[in-house]
Amino acid sequence: ADVAKKSSANKAVVDARRRMLEEWLAYRERTVEDLVEERQDMGLEELSEERKALIVDDEVDGEGKVVE
Amino acid sequence: MRPILLSGHERALTQVKFSKEGDLIFSVSKDHIPCAWYAANGERFGAYKGHIGALWTVDVDPTTTLLATGGADNTLRLWEVQTGREIKQWEFSTSIRRCEFSEDGRLLLGVTEKRTGQLSNIVVYNIDPTPGASQPDEPILRIVVDELPRVTVAGFSYLSKYIITGHENGSVAQWDGKTGELLHEVYSHDDGMSVTDLQWSADRTYFLTASKDKTAKLHDTNTLEVLKTYVADTPLNSAAITPEPTNYVILGGGQAAMDVTTTSARQGKFEARFYHKIFEEEVGRVRGHFGPLNYVAVSPDGKCYCSGGEDGYVRVHHFDPPYFDFKFEVEREKERAGY
Repeated sequence: ADVAKKSSANKAVVDARRRMLEEWLAYRERTVEDLVEERQDMGLEELSEERKALIVDDEVDGEGKVVE
Repeated sequence: MRPILLSGHERALTQVKFSKEGDLIFSVSKDHIPCAWYAANGERFGAYKGHIGALWTVDVDPTTTLLATGGADNTLRLWEVQTGREIKQWEFSTSIRRCEFSEDGRLLLGVTEKRTGQLSNIVVYNIDPTPGASQPDEPILRIVVDELPRVTVAGFSYLSKYIITGHENGSVAQWDGKTGELLHEVYSHDDGMSVTDLQWSADRTYFLTASKDKTAKLHDTNTLEVLKTYVADTPLNSAAITPEPTNYVILGGGQAAMDVTTTSARQGKFEARFYHKIFEEEVGRVRGHFGPLNYVAVSPDGKCYCSGGEDGYVRVHHFDPPYFDFKFEVEREKERAGY
């Protein structure tokens, strides 16, 4: 009975995590979409200046292309 | 994960920040000299000399051209990162507790300390990021915070749409970024427990607050709704969000040595705490500091984090591969499903 109780408790934890993950991913999808739309409406590029700082670096290294 | 120790400061660290490219670290402490370091090897890049008081805050613009610092000498200063030259100084009647650039680097805010006869002010300056450009004497916006308790932290949201502030009573407020009108106020943390830090997600659509109430809380920028709560067992001074696709938050804090037995101080037992951002569960700790962690920051490229301690050290930790591979079963399940 203890084993059964434990496994149902584990299942509850996993179910709760699964739900939290689903909710979070849905939240992010929504906010990212809204942000991109808001930036486009203002005539701005998708990424802010501070986020672009990371991409410029990659372009210097590999010219932004996949090197095989 | 062997840490790199940055030793150069003579007093307790107050804030540490990465450049947006992630290659440099800027640090301020109660000594009077902001420092810049290479994140990769801990060598000193430069020092910025001029302040004549303890420093509370530092920030760097998106192109790593301009550095802003502020502190107890009642000045907010701008420096050229490359040359170390001071290019602007604004003077106030109380100290500068916090400064931050907007995500486009075109605005800089400063928070002035509330003291007898002086209210907390938030000042916003237009910044010209062109090297050698002159900077304005007067702010474009000044918010006099008279309806709310002392402002402890503040920052600009995505698109500089809002200014978000944290307060000494544990509340968080949202202001119109253009007009300075108070839009919304929430009581996220325990009453009377100061909000000690506010850090943004990469896109600034959500943010994390740390508090003396021993919790950190993830808020939505638009609604100020608390999305997640991370419960620690010690008062928190700082909390950082690792950049996606990793999903962690890093909390720093600790009781000051005079409040507890000195054992933990002797043994370097002050810890950075890692939590899963989505599941709110603690996943690990990194010890090493000999005093409370006053600030934690994560590199925008997600490859390392650093902490500034009351012990006068900055510790830089580069993440090992297991950190990137670790996932909860439900995350793997989601990946297998082809998300």
